Amino acid sequence: MLDAFSKAVTAADAGGKFVGGSDLDGLKAFVADGNKRLDAVNAIASNASCIVTDSVAGIVCESPGLTAPGGGVYTNRKMAACLRDGEIILRYITYAVLTGDASVLTDRCLNGLKETYSALGVPTGNTVRAVAIMKACAVAHVNDTNTEAQAGSKFRQMGAIKGDCAALTAEVAGYFDAVGAAIG
Amino acid sequence: MKSVVTTVVAAADQGARFPSSSDLESVQGSLQRAAARMEAADKLASNYDAVANEAINAIYSKYPNGQGRDMDAGTQKDKCKRDIVHFLRLINYSLVVGGTGPVDEWGINGAREVYKALGIGTDTFVCGLSFLRTRGCADRDMSAQALVEYNALLDYVINAMS
Repeated sequence: MLDAFSKAVTAADAGGKFVGGSDLDGLKAFVADGNKRLDAVNAIASNASCIVTDSVAGIVCESPGLTAPGGGVYTNRKMAACLRDGEIILRYITYAVLTGDASVLTDRCLNGLKETYSALGVPTGNTVRAVAIMKACAVAHVNDTNTEAQAGSKFRQMGAIKGDCAALTAEVAGYFDAVGAAIG
Repeated sequence: MKSVVTTVVAAADQGARFPSSSDLESVQGSLQRAAARMEAADKLASNYDAVANEAINAIYSKYPNGQGRDMDAGTQKDKCKRDIVHFLRLINYSLVVGGTGPVDEWGINGAREVYKALGIGTDTFVCGLSFLRTRGCADRDMSAQALVEYNALLDYVINAMS
């Protein structure tokens, strides 16, 4: 498992180079924006249950066949497995956001996931859609842009101080896209 | 690779839990000290050649004939410097990641066995690195906090080689 720092070190070691000067600029930015990152991880982790259940409820609403006999989440057992997997994927994404590197997500979660799902007969299109809903949800929580219209009675915001989180938002969205690309 | 962040994530993953507030606190603690570590890494990266030369001079004043296989004296000294630079580079990496992962994995692990096989006492390294440990001067070389981080890693290697 790598993080933003060890990734820079591994790259330097391949050429036997010291890490100094401009190599450190990206890492200094990582440190300077560290609190934003921790707030983002907290925003996703604190709303994990909501993000996961909304995404699974979303695919079921969009594709009613999923809960019909023979559907992807027909029987409580499969529905429970689906919710569990959504939470696992979201958990590894929080790890990736925290480390600032995708390696923990790709090595420990995505590696072989597509093959596992195809062996189990999990419908890929719906899974990718669920991940896309999780992405929208998580990005909204990170930026605190979720609305009462979207969340209804479950509506709540983190209330962190607002700032420029464009780069961090793009990074978080990128991890969800990586999951979609890996299983799609 | 072991750093503060990856250690926290590995522990959270072991327990299958989302990063908790205490996990985030410990990462935050590491980030707070990061500025000093980055400074030390940067200074070492731009001056490692001079630093290594001082270590070599300290080693050859205590062991004028060097140690190890029979070879040309100049070649031996070059190889000695190469190894010191190697350790300085790993210390630079460890300063960057904020953990001893790089120096553990790529330096210390197996070092005793290798130098024993080559007939080089680890006391030569201890001599050179100990010189560097006392040579660093706050404000002249780097800020006091940066020097603390740099010296801590020198101590770590010295202890491992002693």
